Amino acid sequence: MKVSYQWLQNYTDIRCSAQELADIMTFGGIEVEAVHYPGKLLKQIIIARIISKENHPDADKLSVCQVDDGQEIKQVVCGAPNCAVGQKIALAPVGCKLNEIEIKKVKIRGELSLGMICSEKELGISDNHEGIMVLPEDAPLGVDLATYLELQDIIFDTEITPNRPDLLGMIGIARDLAALRGKKFSYPLIKLQETEKSVKDVLELENHESKLCPRYTARVIEQVRVGESPDWLKKALLAVGLRPINNIVDITNFVMMEYGHPLHAFDYDRVQGNKIVVRRARAAEPFPALDDEDYELAADDLVIADTEKPIALAGVIGGRNSHITSDTVTIVLEAANFLYSSIRKTALRHNIATDSSYRFERELSAETADVASRRAASLILELAGGNLLQGKLDSYPTGYQPDCVQLRPSRVKQILSVDISDQLIRSYMERLELRYIESGPGYMVFEIPPFRQDLEREIDLIEEIMRLHGYNNLPTLLKPSKIMDRESIFSRRRVKDILVQNDFLEIINWGFGDPLDLDMLEIPENDLRRNTIALKNPLGRSFSIMRSLLLPNLLKTALFNINHGQKDLKLFELAKVYNRGDQKAAEERYQICGLLCGYQYPVYWQGKDREVDFFYVKGIVEDILEYLDLSGSETVRSSESYYLPGQAADILWQGKKIASLGRLDPKIGLKYDLNKAVYSFEINLSDILSCHRKSVPNYSEILRYPPVLRDISFIVPVKYTLADIAESIRSIDPAVIKQVQLFDEFTGKNIPEGHRSLSFNLVFNSPTKTLTDDFINGIIKLIIEMLQKEFQIEMR
Amino acid sequence: MIRDKIVTAELEQIFRQALQDIRDASTLHDLQQVKARYLGKKSLIMALLRQLGSVPPEERPAFGKAVNEAKQKVADLIEEHQLLLQEKLYKSELAASQIDITMPGKRSGKGSLHPITLAWQEIEDIFLSMGFDIAEGPDIEDEFHNFDALNTPADHPARNLSDTFYIDNDVLLRTQTSTVQIRVMEKFKPPIRIISPGSCYRNENDASHSPMFHQVEALVVDVGVTFLQLRDVLQEFVRRMFGETIDTRFRPHYFPFTEPSAELDIRCVKCLGTGCNLCKGSGWLEMGGAGMVDPNVFQMIGIDPEKFTGYAFGLGIDRIAMVKYNIPDMRLLFENDVRFLKQFR
Repeated sequence: MKVSYQWLQNYTDIRCSAQELADIMTFGGIEVEAVHYPGKLLKQIIIARIISKENHPDADKLSVCQVDDGQEIKQVVCGAPNCAVGQKIALAPVGCKLNEIEIKKVKIRGELSLGMICSEKELGISDNHEGIMVLPEDAPLGVDLATYLELQDIIFDTEITPNRPDLLGMIGIARDLAALRGKKFSYPLIKLQETEKSVKDVLELENHESKLCPRYTARVIEQVRVGESPDWLKKALLAVGLRPINNIVDITNFVMMEYGHPLHAFDYDRVQGNKIVVRRARAAEPFPALDDEDYELAADDLVIADTEKPIALAGVIGGRNSHITSDTVTIVLEAANFLYSSIRKTALRHNIATDSSYRFERELSAETADVASRRAASLILELAGGNLLQGKLDSYPTGYQPDCVQLRPSRVKQILSVDISDQLIRSYMERLELRYIESGPGYMVFEIPPFRQDLEREIDLIEEIMRLHGYNNLPTLLKPSKIMDRESIFSRRRVKDILVQNDFLEIINWGFGDPLDLDMLEIPENDLRRNTIALKNPLGRSFSIMRSLLLPNLLKTALFNINHGQKDLKLFELAKVYNRGDQKAAEERYQICGLLCGYQYPVYWQGKDREVDFFYVKGIVEDILEYLDLSGSETVRSSESYYLPGQAADILWQGKKIASLGRLDPKIGLKYDLNKAVYSFEINLSDILSCHRKSVPNYSEILRYPPVLRDISFIVPVKYTLADIAESIRSIDPAVIKQVQLFDEFTGKNIPEGHRSLSFNLVFNSPTKTLTDDFINGIIKLIIEMLQKEFQIEMR
Repeated sequence: MIRDKIVTAELEQIFRQALQDIRDASTLHDLQQVKARYLGKKSLIMALLRQLGSVPPEERPAFGKAVNEAKQKVADLIEEHQLLLQEKLYKSELAASQIDITMPGKRSGKGSLHPITLAWQEIEDIFLSMGFDIAEGPDIEDEFHNFDALNTPADHPARNLSDTFYIDNDVLLRTQTSTVQIRVMEKFKPPIRIISPGSCYRNENDASHSPMFHQVEALVVDVGVTFLQLRDVLQEFVRRMFGETIDTRFRPHYFPFTEPSAELDIRCVKCLGTGCNLCKGSGWLEMGGAGMVDPNVFQMIGIDPEKFTGYAFGLGIDRIAMVKYNIPDMRLLFENDVRFLKQFR
C-alpha cells in the first residue's frame, strides 16, 4: 500500500526524515519496500511564459515560441495546438530528465529549441495529453513546479501483513506510528448537520444475508453538486495512486484510503423502488460493472440490489446502472461490512481485484463502517453541498460487544526475558487504544478496540508490547564471544588430519624433558631452547625439565619401535614446548614434530618402493604450510645443529623462522642408536597462528581464454637455485605466465661437470585475450635471453 | 549385344574375385586394401566405368547400370565384413583387458590419531554441539589459580611436593584443568559455558596413574543454573559418548571448589552392570567429579553468588579413552608402540 508522508501529518506529528520514518515503520512491523519522491521530476520543471509565437517556417504543425523563464528568453519549438502567447507554461529546460529522456539542445527542422513545453501527462500529473499544461495567470515565473504545486510529498511503498487490516488506511498507519513513537494522535473532526427529513422517508433497507453482510448502513444526501474535486483532494488521491473522478467518488475513495474502509455511493434516482436489498445473486443474473465489463453472477455472489436489479457486487465493484454522474442530485452513501471469505470467493470467481475487495478480504471491523460513513458525509456536505437526511438505515443484527484480554506481566517477562514495568506495559497498550479495565494480583485486563480483531489472546498482546518496545532494544544474553579461539583449535585438528592422511601415526609423550638431550643434539649454549624450566621435585633426571623441543622424544620413540621390529616409521607429535620467557612466566607454544625413516609408502606391488628423502618430507611440510595459508615463505639452508647440513632447510615467513626440516645428521643419530637415515621436521604452530590467520577463500573469475602450454629445457650451472630461476622466469611477464613447473632434473651423461639440466612446463594465460603464437614466442625469446644473461644457460 | 556379354562376363569375374577377397580379409587393414582394389580410383570396376564412352550409345544405360550395381554390391559386402571384423576385434580386446581384481588397491591414509586424541575430539564435539565453548590455559600455573582461587585450604595435602610438581615456590604444573575456570571468570562476565581440555600433572607413576594425564573440565555460570542441569548434561554426554543405554549416578563427595559436590559413576560399558573385571564386580565405573560452584569461588573472583549460580565438572580423557576402546593399562597410552597406535585407525 502506498503511504503518503503529508497525509499522515493530518493525524500525528511526524517531524522526522523520510529514512527515519521508513525505519520506524519497518522495525515496527510495517515493512517499507521503497521510498519515492514524486516531486523529484517536477523539481526540474520551471514555470515560464510564452511571450511570442510564430509558425515554424518548415513545419505546419509546429510553432516557434520565445519563452521567458524569469531569467532569460529562450526559443522553444512546440507542437501543441493550444499553445498561445501570454500563457504560463511548464518548461522542461535543457539538461533535465523526463521519464528517462534527457532534454537536449536540438534543432527541430532547422529551428533551435532550448527545452520542451510539457503536457500534464508528460509530467505525470494526469492522463491529459490534449496539448500543453496551462498554469494559472498568477503562477510565479522561474519557480519550479514541485514547489508551486506543493508536491513535496514522499510516498512509502509498504507491505501490510494480512493480520493487520487496520493498517490499510492512513489513519491506521498514523495511529501505529504515534504509538511506536509515543506521540499524540488525533482522529479527524466530524461535524454532521442533518435535516429534519428522515432517511427513512425516502429509502428502505432489506438485508436478507446477515451472515454474509453483518452490517449495512446507508445515508442519503440530497441536492449535492457533483463536480471536480478541490486540488488538495485530487493531490491526496494521486499521491496514493488513485485517479480523481468527481467529488463524490473522490470523497468515498479518500475516506477508504483514510480509514481503510471502502465506501460506495449510488445515484438515488437510479435505485428502483427506493429500496436497498442485500441478497444473493440469482444464477446467471447479469451485472454491468463499473470496469465496463458485464458479469454473469453466481448464486453465491452477494449483491446490493434495488427492487429490480443488482446495483453493486457487494464489497467488490459498483454498477454502471447506479453510479454517480454529473447529473446526480441525490446520493445513497453505503458503508457496510461483508464476510471476508465471501468477498474473496466472488473476487476470485470473476477475477476482479479492487481496492475495495482487497480490504474486505482482510476482514474489516463492522464498527468502522459507521465512522467512515459519517466522515464521508461530512466531507460531501463540505465539498459538494447538499442536505443530509436525518439518521441512517442500519442493519447490524449482532451489534458490537468489545472483547477483553487478560495479560500477566510475569508472562511478558517469561516470553521476552526483559523486565518491563506494569506502568510501561499499560502505556504501550493504551497507545494502541487498548482500554485499561482493571488489574488484580499478577494480571491486567484490557479491552480490545474494534479495529484490532487480530488481538485475541495474551500472547498477541505480548507481541504488541515487544513491537513497541523494539525488537532490537533488548540487552543481549549471549555468551561473551572471544572465549574460544576456534581457528587455533580447529587448525591444530586439521594439521593432525593432514599428517594422518599422509600415513603418520600420532604419538603422545609426557611433557617432561631430559637436559642431556640438548647436549646430544648439540643445541648451542645461547639458544632459547637452553633456557629451560626445571622441576623442583622431578621423577628423575630424564624427566627433570619441561621439554623445549619435541624431537628427542620422537627419536626415543623411533628407537623403541625399531627395536620392536619396525622398519618404516612415520610418527608425529603435536604438543606444547616450554621455555623461560622474558618475564617470570613460562612460554608455552604448540609445535609439531615429525619423524620419518624407511620407505615413503608401504610396499606396493605396482611401481618402485622409494626411501624417504628430503623432498618427500618437504612436500608434507608444504602441504601443512599451504593449509595454513603461508604463501610466499622462503626456504633457506638450515641453521639447526642436528641436521645434515647439505640436506636441511629452514622455512622463513616474513623473516621469521616458522619451520625446519632435514635429514638427521648420522653422527647424532648414532648417539641415539639410530643407524639408518632418519628425517624430521618441526613446525612452530603457535608462532604461526599468533601472527597469521588463514584467509577466507575468495572467488576469482575463471579465465575464459584457453591456456597455452610450452616446455623449455636448458643446461645451467648448479650454483643457481631453482627458486631463483623459476622466479626470474615468472617475473618476465607475471600477468601472463601463470605457472612455471619443474618437470625434470637431470645430471650425468652429456651434461658438463658442475651443471644440470632443468625442464619446465610453462603455462600462459590472459584474462583479456587469446594469446597468439607470435606473442608467446616473443615472451619465450625474452625468457631465454634473460636466462642466458643471468644464469649462463645453454638451451638443450 | 556381343559387347554387353563380354562386359558381363568380365564384370562377373571381377565380382566373384571381389567376393573371395573380402571373405579372405582377416583384419581391418586387409579389408581396407580390398576396398582400394575394387572401389578406389584405380580399381578394376572404375576402369570398366571409364570405358562407358566407348560403348555404343544405345547400350550405355544397361552397361552403366550393370557396373554400378556390381560396385554397390561390393561396397555393401565390404561394409558388412568390416562390422564383423570390428566386433571380432572388440571381443579379443575385451578378453585381453581382463585383470586380477583381487590384487590390492593403492591406499593412503594409513596413519592414525592417538586414542587419547580420538576421545578428546569426540568429547569436544559433543560439548560443542551442546553449546559449550572450548577454553584453554597454561600448563605451568601459579598456586593462586591451581589452589587458592579454587578454595583449597593452605594446608591441604594436595599442595604437598609428593603430590604436585613444583617449579618455584608458587609456580607449579597444574594438577587439574579447573585452573581455566578461574582464568575465564577473571576475563569474562557470565553467561559462561565452557569446557577446558588439557594436560595435567601429578607426582605419581604406576599402572593406573601417569604423572601426565588429560582432563576435561566444564564450567557453566548463568542466572538459574541448577544441579539438575548438571546431572542432565552429564547424563546426555555419557549417552552420546558411550551409548544410549549407559546410565549415570551421582555419589556425594568432597571437592574444595564445589558445594554440593558429587562423584559421577557410569554403568559399566563392558558388562552393563552384571559385574566384570573392568568394574571389579561393582557394575559401575567411576568417571569424574562434579558439583555446584562454591559461593566462595564466586566471591573470590568477583561474581555475585546471589545473582549467579554455576556448575563444574571434571572428567579424565585418558580414562574415557581406556573405557571406550577397552585399553587395559594406562602405560600403553604413553609407550607409543606403533602396533598399539595402528589399532585406532
